Amino acid sequence: MTRSNSYLSWRIWTVYAVLAGISIPWYWSAEDTRMLLGFPLWAVVSILGSLAVSCFTAWLFVCRWPQDDEGEGEA
Amino acid sequence: MMAAAAETNVIPFGAGALTFIGVYLLSMVWIGWLGMRARKENSLRDHFIGGSGVGFMVLLLTLFATQYSGNTILGFSGKAYRIGFAWLTCVHFMTAIVVTYLLFAPRLFKLAKQHAFITPTDYLAHRFNHRGLNLLATLIMVASLMNFYLAQLTAMGRAVEGLTTLDPETAFLWGVVVLAGIMLVYENMGGFRAVAWTDMIQGGVLALGFAVLLVLIFKEYGSMENTTRMLLQTAPEKVLPPKAPEVRSWISYILLLGVGAALYPQAIQRIYAAKSAKTLRKSLAVMAFMPLCTALIAVLVGVTAAAHLAGELQGASSDAVLGVMLRHIQEQSAFGYALVVLIFAAILGAIMSTADSTLLSMSSMVTKDLYMGFVRPEASQASLTSLGKWISTLFVVVLAALAVWLNNSGTKLTLVELLEMKFDMLLQLAPAFMIAIHWQRMRAGPVFAGMLAGLVFALLFFWVPAKGDGFLTLLKTSGFHPGVYGLILNIAIGVSGSWIVNARSKA
Repeated sequence: MTRSNSYLSWRIWTVYAVLAGISIPWYWSAEDTRMLLGFPLWAVVSILGSLAVSCFTAWLFVCRWPQDDEGEGEA
Repeated sequence: MMAAAAETNVIPFGAGALTFIGVYLLSMVWIGWLGMRARKENSLRDHFIGGSGVGFMVLLLTLFATQYSGNTILGFSGKAYRIGFAWLTCVHFMTAIVVTYLLFAPRLFKLAKQHAFITPTDYLAHRFNHRGLNLLATLIMVASLMNFYLAQLTAMGRAVEGLTTLDPETAFLWGVVVLAGIMLVYENMGGFRAVAWTDMIQGGVLALGFAVLLVLIFKEYGSMENTTRMLLQTAPEKVLPPKAPEVRSWISYILLLGVGAALYPQAIQRIYAAKSAKTLRKSLAVMAFMPLCTALIAVLVGVTAAAHLAGELQGASSDAVLGVMLRHIQEQSAFGYALVVLIFAAILGAIMSTADSTLLSMSSMVTKDLYMGFVRPEASQASLTSLGKWISTLFVVVLAALAVWLNNSGTKLTLVELLEMKFDMLLQLAPAFMIAIHWQRMRAGPVFAGMLAGLVFALLFFWVPAKGDGFLTLLKTSGFHPGVYGLILNIAIGVSGSWIVNARSKA
């Protein structure tokens, strides 16, 4: 199956929007002092969100590179 | 990535440490010589892109060393010292840079291989064939990189200031002259190959430096739990979740740097330089994890310093926080001293690897896009390559002199302002690269008009002071950067203008 321009898929950018919504700490109470593993809880959630973005992005690059954009020199 | 104005503040190095640093720097010249020997032809493409391209490890480490400057260690830790955990935004915007490549890297790489692109403007010329657009985009990129290069030269001088027993101004001068001189020699000898190969060494030392830093910080200052609890007592605002204006600032940073830094000309040229699509996609996949291994560590360093060293930094620049911590570690033992020398080598490598890529990119654009594009289109490849080396030399001499003059005159605020403007300017290239590469009906005229309008808006927004409670004040206090507003205007003009032009041509 040919993956043409697959990085423009709305599904991909919906996943990013959800991950950004989790990672950016807009929904925490300004007085939240809970901690986890020595970090503020909101910071742990934000870092894990960033890790999820990294994993998803790496997966897209490795497994979902658009085949019609492989270009020259590909083995 | 941001303003580089940090001192190392370590104890002046002894003969052994200075010899180690000297050998490390001279090895760069040796690599430049190897790059010169590996040259296949005397052409622009060979000098500026490295001919047929580089493999996975070289591409990964040159991408890493180019994107992560000395300021990723110094500036990020200083900012985390000032605002605490809220500076975790840097992890997100460094990740966003890699995410942004999804929008244009695959197609740009394919076009670059098909049409032998050398500079980012080559893509624009191929896509739009509009001389005004070529000129405007090139000027935006060269101006942005001149700011960036100036900041790296300043960082070189500052890094050396605390290392010797010379007075700070003399040490700054010698730091700039010697480090910029070494960089110029290896770059003019080996071109892109020398830059990429030295980036390999510098990127490797930088990664090692971050790892050592992480271990040292926990060993010296104890667990993160201890640090966070101390901060909650002394400066709770550095631990608590960001408030609404800060959250808007997070979003703006992610947009501004995520998109703007992906459009660094030297980063685009590394997309061109990949040997194959497989090489490129593997390198970008690894790059997606680098913010967690680097920017996050810098934040931890800054937060730890905020808890343990708050009193010691009174009156000092907070960007020097890492230097103060290193001094503590240096005083503990001979082993600590050796590790500090290694971290210092990593900082030097990070500064130089970013600066050399910037210099080569500026030189390629002035040579190919301005001189060949507008003055002598018929010039031979050999004469253009030779000219490119002279242009590099000219940039180094002029900008090094400017860095020394700015340092001596104390005009640092202006420099910081100029640096912040860099991303506001680069961001205006986004529609031409990220929308037009997919939407073939996007037209040159509207793209040019949008880019110009976005640039003018961002610059005016930056310089015109806000008065009273007007609309401008509202925008300026919103937490979003000027370039983000400029980009919205830019896209609106580029897209709507293209629709109108297309509709008219159909009628």
